[in-house]
Amino acid sequence: MSGTRLAIETERLGRDYGSTRALDGLDLEVVPGALVGLLGPNGAGKTTAMLILATLLAPTRGSARIFGHDTTRERRAVRQRLGLVFQETSVDGLLTVSENLRFAARLAGLGGRAARQAVTEGMERTGLADHAATPAGQLSGGWRRLLDVTRASLHQPDLLILDEPTVGLDPEHRDRMWSLLESQRRSRGTTVLFSTHYLEEAEASDRVVLLSSGRVVANDMPAALRATVGLEVAEIEGPGAERLVKALRGLGAAASSVRTERGFRIGLTGSREAVVELAGSAPGIQRFALRPATLEDVYFALTQRPADEPDRVLALP
Amino acid sequence: MSSLSAMYGIVARDLTRTTRQKGRLLGGIARSFMWLLLVGTGFNAIARVEGGVSYQSFVYPGIVVMAALFGAMLMAISTVYDREFGMLRLMLASPAGVPAVLAGRALAAAIVGLIQGAIVLVLAPLFVPVSPRSLAAALGALALGSIVSSGLGLLVAARLRSVENFAGVINMVLFPLLFVSGALYPTSGMPPALRLLARVNPVTYQVDLMRYAFGQPTEFGLTTDILVLTASALVLLGLAALLFDPEQRFIGRSRLPGSGLEPG
Repeated sequence: MSGTRLAIETERLGRDYGSTRALDGLDLEVVPGALVGLLGPNGAGKTTAMLILATLLAPTRGSARIFGHDTTRERRAVRQRLGLVFQETSVDGLLTVSENLRFAARLAGLGGRAARQAVTEGMERTGLADHAATPAGQLSGGWRRLLDVTRASLHQPDLLILDEPTVGLDPEHRDRMWSLLESQRRSRGTTVLFSTHYLEEAEASDRVVLLSSGRVVANDMPAALRATVGLEVAEIEGPGAERLVKALRGLGAAASSVRTERGFRIGLTGSREAVVELAGSAPGIQRFALRPATLEDVYFALTQRPADEPDRVLALP
Repeated sequence: MSSLSAMYGIVARDLTRTTRQKGRLLGGIARSFMWLLLVGTGFNAIARVEGGVSYQSFVYPGIVVMAALFGAMLMAISTVYDREFGMLRLMLASPAGVPAVLAGRALAAAIVGLIQGAIVLVLAPLFVPVSPRSLAAALGALALGSIVSSGLGLLVAARLRSVENFAGVINMVLFPLLFVSGALYPTSGMPPALRLLARVNPVTYQVDLMRYAFGQPTEFGLTTDILVLTASALVLLGLAALLFDPEQRFIGRSRLPGSGLEPG
């Protein structure tokens, strides 16, 4: 029934808190099965967007549909297809791991045998079976978060919305978390929308949506976004850095330029040889490094606010 | 179907939590016995109740109601706790939605109230003449009263955000409800203003119904008590559902001073 429908579709979605525009003009189309990363600084509107999609906040403007169902008028239909992981872990510390999962299964509408089976399978999938009888309050932060994700996917939702699922996790648990989500996507074609501050996690997404001050500043595939910054990025530091940057821009070699705490990050347009040569002969350069462009470069280039700090962004792609 | 399963899940969780909080559970039971033995014995010496019964047997039905009232109303703290610590979002995001969440919560609270009241009922033969029939009637009165009390608790919890807040507010609500109910002294001796308050206090009818169960003189009679209590339960739960703001948890953070655009 949802074969051709979009998993997520929003039109000029917006939400105000009092006089504050937390989210404005979000247009989003996500095909079923996609992995979509929502990036942006704190306060950019990521959580607000996710809560609206999760039917927990009503939009002030615009509309959102999940598999064709409106998030305000058809909440129940939307909720049946959703699995949610919130910024703070939603686990009852007084209940054991399996009790927490059974509670979630029943909330999702699974009864009796179906609930028991979903709980058993969920624990096996995650590796939580060994902790089944452990009170959730005694789990480590990493396991608690894995329990949270298992909880959200018990009822086999078509769309998983995860708000910073890996925040505070060690690399091992992050890895486990992503392989869990990946297997969920492979086996069931689950659509996944997640937010994160670990930008490298978003590199594997099909699409990245970058929010800043409530507005979408980028919405594309990671590779396409990296290309807007430049092929390679030169990190330039030292008292002579600004002069070198000006020279590079004069030559038309800089596709983008961001001032960081330590110096500059210049996205390069063409071949590196000329740039390396120029940098080699420039005075006052303490550090000059070339590396491939990352989403972090995109992030910095697009989320720095020219109005606040006019000299920070020299050029935007 | 899915609403029933969600309600079952909520009730099962709340009852499991209750059994894991031993201190709270024992405290609840001890409170009733304390009132019964300390207050009851103390007043026994000075109070004279019309009809020639001892003060302890007069106050006993009131203490049974009190045990259930405290038990059921204090359960509402879990709704505030869940709002503060994020579990409420889980329930609100379930397909069942707000009505099932509140119904499940109310049912769990009523069960806890009923059990706490029933524990005090065990002592009935020490204070009042009992028969299987009067005990069954008392259990029925407890069940109906506990649903009303759970509604009172949810109403208090509907808008409160922090557990500390709840602890402060609930005492301001519980004790007046108890004192202006005829549980500890007859409403007939109260000044007119308090009598009026007693008449709009649903706990008054719980106490009255409990007295009826034990064959003590009642003020309103069986039918009135049951009608008023049933109506109170519906009104209280309806009000709680109306006042309950599913977005509160999320908007709340954004309005904290200095928090800027949170939630991000």
